[in-house]
Amino acid sequence: MLTWEFPPRIVGGIARHCEGLAKALAHLGHEVHVFTLDFPGAPDYEEMNGVKVYRTVTELGHPNFLTWALLFNHFLEKRLGSVSQQVKFDVVHVHDWLSAPAGVSFKYGVKKPLVLTVHSTEIGRAQGLHTPDSRAIDGMEWWATYEANKVIVTSGSMKGEICGHFNLPDDKIRIIPNAIDSTNYHASIDRESIRRRYGIGSNEKLVLCVGRLVPQKGIEHLIHAVPNIVWRHPEAKIVIVGEGWLKGHLEYLARSSGHGWKIRFTGFLPDSEMIALMTSADVLVVPSIYEPFGIVALEGMAAGVPVVASYIGGLAEVVEHDRTGILVYSKNPESIAWGVDRVLSDPGHSHWLTENARKMIQKTYSWEGIAKKTLEVYKEVK
Amino acid sequence: MSQEVPEEFRLLCMLHNIGAIKLERSLSVQEICEWTAMETSSIELHLQKLVELGYVQPIEAEATGRYHLTPDGIRKVLSLYS
Repeated sequence: MLTWEFPPRIVGGIARHCEGLAKALAHLGHEVHVFTLDFPGAPDYEEMNGVKVYRTVTELGHPNFLTWALLFNHFLEKRLGSVSQQVKFDVVHVHDWLSAPAGVSFKYGVKKPLVLTVHSTEIGRAQGLHTPDSRAIDGMEWWATYEANKVIVTSGSMKGEICGHFNLPDDKIRIIPNAIDSTNYHASIDRESIRRRYGIGSNEKLVLCVGRLVPQKGIEHLIHAVPNIVWRHPEAKIVIVGEGWLKGHLEYLARSSGHGWKIRFTGFLPDSEMIALMTSADVLVVPSIYEPFGIVALEGMAAGVPVVASYIGGLAEVVEHDRTGILVYSKNPESIAWGVDRVLSDPGHSHWLTENARKMIQKTYSWEGIAKKTLEVYKEVK
Repeated sequence: MSQEVPEEFRLLCMLHNIGAIKLERSLSVQEICEWTAMETSSIELHLQKLVELGYVQPIEAEATGRYHLTPDGIRKVLSLYS
């Protein structure tokens, strides 16, 4: 498995996906080797729950992101080549374009099949192709899907996107959703104490949002919804967890909303703290404008918090409206405020939503199930 | 990554991509100038802000300061690219 992020080098969903999948495959008795990039304090090689993890130092650098990505691929390929002297691999599985060059070289070098998981696309992330680098990344994404023997996507929405944009044949693509380890969400926590840490009183409502602070997450629309939310629920406070380059702008929007004191930005939180906060929340809002899957919605469901999510992309497939959560119109603060009100005004209905959501996760989104589906794809390409 | 990314975060990304992610690969302002073709005064200003934000660690032991990203700085860069 090749990935540019793997714990503890972790920001987005790719690291968590690769970790969950790799561990589940190993648990099923398969030998899994993960090649990734180094991170301060993490060892060059370690075994994590039966998964062999190789962290590679990129010994050459360049200020340009694309050039750097091609350079780190060279070092990934070198490490992969070295390990393959001792290990006989059956398939190479690449996650997104970032590690595709090393994967494609390996495919031809050792004549083994290549599987690619497309987690998102440049045209979706950037909401268009606005720069030469963006166009080049788009080209590399197309090339990776062309070279792969099979392409995995996490939602029907993503399948439609890459079939259309890259002209991929339908039968080359398999949909395998993301998953989560729901046992991580069963820890007993002191709810009141956690809420106090974030300034939430016992009579107040915690409206939580977790996501990278970038435009595609639509957090500005939640901030625009705050006056309406607070008008209906004066006891509501909003906590926004995550990092990203849009942070300064979002903080400015929060201050300008007239309710700045009700909105708190926590920055990056470690997983354990994030889970504790999610478990303590009264509602989780996922206001994304582009979301190929939306694992944060699953995390909220596993934590037992009612989820209000945009009716877009993978979110619309993960959340069943008014059964496992509430779907609202994307980029629409009025609709977001309506969804939050729907949850906060009717605790009985909210409880019913969370119970349905928990059952749905156990049935559909376990890592073991997802690993078995991935193995079927490996068998198809062998 | 969007064109609207603030200049100090562009510098953070460049430091990451050059490889200044640990003590032994830290860079002086002069070296950063040569890599990035940015003005010394701008680099110093941006570095000061990035240090305050906890994304960059200054190494003061030598006559000229050297800088490298912290783990939070690396996560910040990944959040810009993901």
